[in-house]
Amino acid sequence: MSVLARVYEDMGLVTTGLVLIEEHAKRVKPPRMLSVPFNFGNTLGRPNDPEFQHEILKTTFDLLDRHEGPVLESFSSNIAPELFSQGSGVPRQRSAVVTDPGQELGLRRPFYERWVQQNGGRTAVGLSTISQTDFKLVIKFLEDFIEDEEFDTPIRPNQFSVAHFIRYCVDDLKAYYFESKMSEDPELSITQLHEWLWAETALGSLIMRLAERMRSDDNNEVKAVAFGIAR
Amino acid sequence: MPRLEALSEAQRKMLLNWPCPDNDDTPWTTMGKPLSESKVAMVTTSGIHLRKDAPFRSLKGGDTSYRIIPRDSDPADIIQSHTSIGFDRTTSYRDINITFPVDRLEELVQSGYIGELSDNYYSYMGAINDVTGLIEDSGPEVATKLLAEDVDVVLLVPT
Repeated sequence: MSVLARVYEDMGLVTTGLVLIEEHAKRVKPPRMLSVPFNFGNTLGRPNDPEFQHEILKTTFDLLDRHEGPVLESFSSNIAPELFSQGSGVPRQRSAVVTDPGQELGLRRPFYERWVQQNGGRTAVGLSTISQTDFKLVIKFLEDFIEDEEFDTPIRPNQFSVAHFIRYCVDDLKAYYFESKMSEDPELSITQLHEWLWAETALGSLIMRLAERMRSDDNNEVKAVAFGIAR
Repeated sequence: MPRLEALSEAQRKMLLNWPCPDNDDTPWTTMGKPLSESKVAMVTTSGIHLRKDAPFRSLKGGDTSYRIIPRDSDPADIIQSHTSIGFDRTTSYRDINITFPVDRLEELVQSGYIGELSDNYYSYMGAINDVTGLIEDSGPEVATKLLAEDVDVVLLVPT
């Protein structure tokens, strides 16, 4: 971000922006930046809070009044950045109701579809290019891949390698689950959402087994993808 | 910035050792007119793009390409292929404005705070550790497009 600001400014544009890693901005020295104290993925602080988001944006645009730089200001906030756990940091709950991810998927569908409907069709699902109505085939593919390292699937689009397709499948399944859960229980925090996925769902268990299997693969691309789906 | 002490040791170490360029000076362009008369564009490094466009790739050093997102895009047509497990994305599921404040910018135009908005916004991938392609290729390319659209001010928003 800071690098781009320098390139644009050098070509005659005026830039202002937000940075999440103040230490990097101090080194790169972009012209004008507001450092915000939020976690990655939460740049404007709080979702669905237009007033607060406007405060941040106006503070960012205020930097345009300066006559020389670099300008690197800090935005102070009382919002405590919310942390979330990776899969390995969340103990599995033995009381998980459903152990078959294929069955679980079907149970989550009404909540997911309600989410999409309530959000004007917006969803984070779609990277794999497989329709959510065919996700049972995706689950079957991932289960078969865990058992057989040579396993491939006819549902994989040609433009994706097997490893890359697995990454997008997992991204899609996580998004499907998180969106379904936020529809079912809108008040859940970030921490609670991640803990629910890893502790209580059959999908969480499947992803952890998949990542473990991929980490032990001889293929470096497969190994790299393992680190991108769970830790 | 995120509280470094709250991150995992691996993440903290990775961020502090990130190979970003160390510069001594800062390029500077002077504002030619008030913001209320300026045309503003937005550039994000959240790795979002239209569904019909190719996803960003996990390349060695990072994917330095960019995607154009027309300002009038339906949010339902936008998807994010920057999906590192190092950051939470559920807040952006709830509200696209958290990393791509399209609605906030429209409101700032309606209130007269900003003059007007460009027809196109631009998106890059985040977490790039070899920025050569940004400096030599995709950065100047997007700047040229922004200038062709008579953009005065660029708002940069990371994820």
